[in-house]
Amino acid sequence: MTPNRVQRGSSKKRRVPLALLIVPVVLVAIGVAILLALRGGEGGGIIGGGDEPPPPFDFIVKPATAVPTAPDADEAALSASAERVAHEITPIIDDLYTNAYLDPSNWRHDDYEEVFTAFAPDAAATAEQSLETLTLGATAGDVFDTVDPGRSKLSYQVLFDPDGEPDTAVVSVIFRATAERKNGTYLAIVSEGEFFLGQIDGQEEGWKITAFDVKREDHETHPPSPSASTSASPSA
Amino acid sequence: MSVLPARRRAALLVALVAAWVAGSALGATQPAGRASAAPLFQLEPAHAEYVPVLDGTKPIYVLIIGSDARPDQAVESQRADSIHILSINPAEHRAAIVGIPRDSYVEIPGVGQNKINTALFYGGPDLVVQTVEQLTDLKMDYWAMTGFASFEQMVDDVDGLVVDVPFAMNDEASRAFFDPGVQRLDGDNALAFARNRHDLPAGDFGRSENQGRLMVAALAQLKKEFNKDPARMLIWAASFVRNGTTTLALDEVLDLAFTGTAVNANKVENVVFPGGTAMVGGLSVVTLNQETLQKISKDLADDGLLRKANVPPSPNEPLLGG
Repeated sequence: MTPNRVQRGSSKKRRVPLALLIVPVVLVAIGVAILLALRGGEGGGIIGGGDEPPPPFDFIVKPATAVPTAPDADEAALSASAERVAHEITPIIDDLYTNAYLDPSNWRHDDYEEVFTAFAPDAAATAEQSLETLTLGATAGDVFDTVDPGRSKLSYQVLFDPDGEPDTAVVSVIFRATAERKNGTYLAIVSEGEFFLGQIDGQEEGWKITAFDVKREDHETHPPSPSASTSASPSA
Repeated sequence: MSVLPARRRAALLVALVAAWVAGSALGATQPAGRASAAPLFQLEPAHAEYVPVLDGTKPIYVLIIGSDARPDQAVESQRADSIHILSINPAEHRAAIVGIPRDSYVEIPGVGQNKINTALFYGGPDLVVQTVEQLTDLKMDYWAMTGFASFEQMVDDVDGLVVDVPFAMNDEASRAFFDPGVQRLDGDNALAFARNRHDLPAGDFGRSENQGRLMVAALAQLKKEFNKDPARMLIWAASFVRNGTTTLALDEVLDLAFTGTAVNANKVENVVFPGGTAMVGGLSVVTLNQETLQKISKDLADDGLLRKANVPPSPNEPLLGG
């Protein structure tokens, strides 16, 4: 409806100069934006940015077991090679769990794309459909305030081909973390399972997850005691 | 739809933009307040799994050969005491096992008519494959072979096989002494179970079926162990490669093992080509029932599976009480 002439006339009488309304608001907004841009640092954008970095986290790694296929395998050499394989794969699993559970810039914004780079293409398709089991979940940002890693372990079995080259590694994972909900309660996150990794032909990235079997067994828990460590210790 | 004056719209727009920028900025710096109505996280146990089973529609045929080589003999240059076609339908996660009696009197390419078990002696596993392919018109994709000692070791590597022994056995020649029922057989006993023919009414036919029974037991056990601890697959695959001789590459062994974990062992048809015995030139041989052989072979060629209608009676039927 178009205002009638009388109404327009009466509003003219009470009008505050527009500049007086706009200028302070814009100045405040620009000031705050500049302040944040300066504080944002490396990963902190202005909009939706500013998440703290993920807490430091490393799995505790048990000694790797070599599984030979050659009848006359040099078991000492294969054991050393299995340890090297474990050394190569551990950062991949560290990153996988950091990206899936610990990095606030992922779980606060339902952005788990980095998680799936650890998987070979066929396995990645299924992994993406299992987001709620393999990550903190799409709604984690609405539910949780913080997530702190707990004591988490990896153990390896490495299958060697008859020439003594590593072919397939099975990583058994127990990952634990404590998530504080926004309502002040705590959830123990437990992810347990196995990942099969192989070196996929034609991919330079090295080891990729080709199969997996992972369970989530989360349960209610109490607040961590003040003296408790907030991150797992790396192995020696 | 209401219409605001242009200057007021501009002011409102600027205010909204400013509020958005400021709000986003403040939201990023201050912790969110406690939301008393925040949804609780789902606590149902969750499970995610991806097993790279083969899923093609083309059946896979693996010829499994048991050489009668003793520990100090080469497995390739002896006779084939057991010959089985393992047929897998990956898409349907099903399989069939067909035993070929070792004394089957057949045409061996380049050799002539003879017992099929001599094909291994004359031309190694490749000639056994050619002979079976000629007999059945099925193209074998792979072959795998073990001897006595390697079979025993394979079973011991996986801590024995849990087998439902279908009837009592008491055979001095093979040292097969078993009560009926489910039991874990170590390598030595599994070999005895596989070799026993003297106290079976159908002799080698019944033995061939029992050898298939061991394969079904292995399939069931692989699946069970894999479901409990997936890393066990490495032990099975490694043992197979270490103790067997095969055209399967390690990755193919793993592919088949993954596929095997999806197969329902209870639905695997385990049959033996039926036939009768005859004497040929002083040799006691098996003459295969050609009609049944053709039926089974054609059925397998279709999709790798055996229909109930084409399943011949068990050679151990008199002992099975059925």
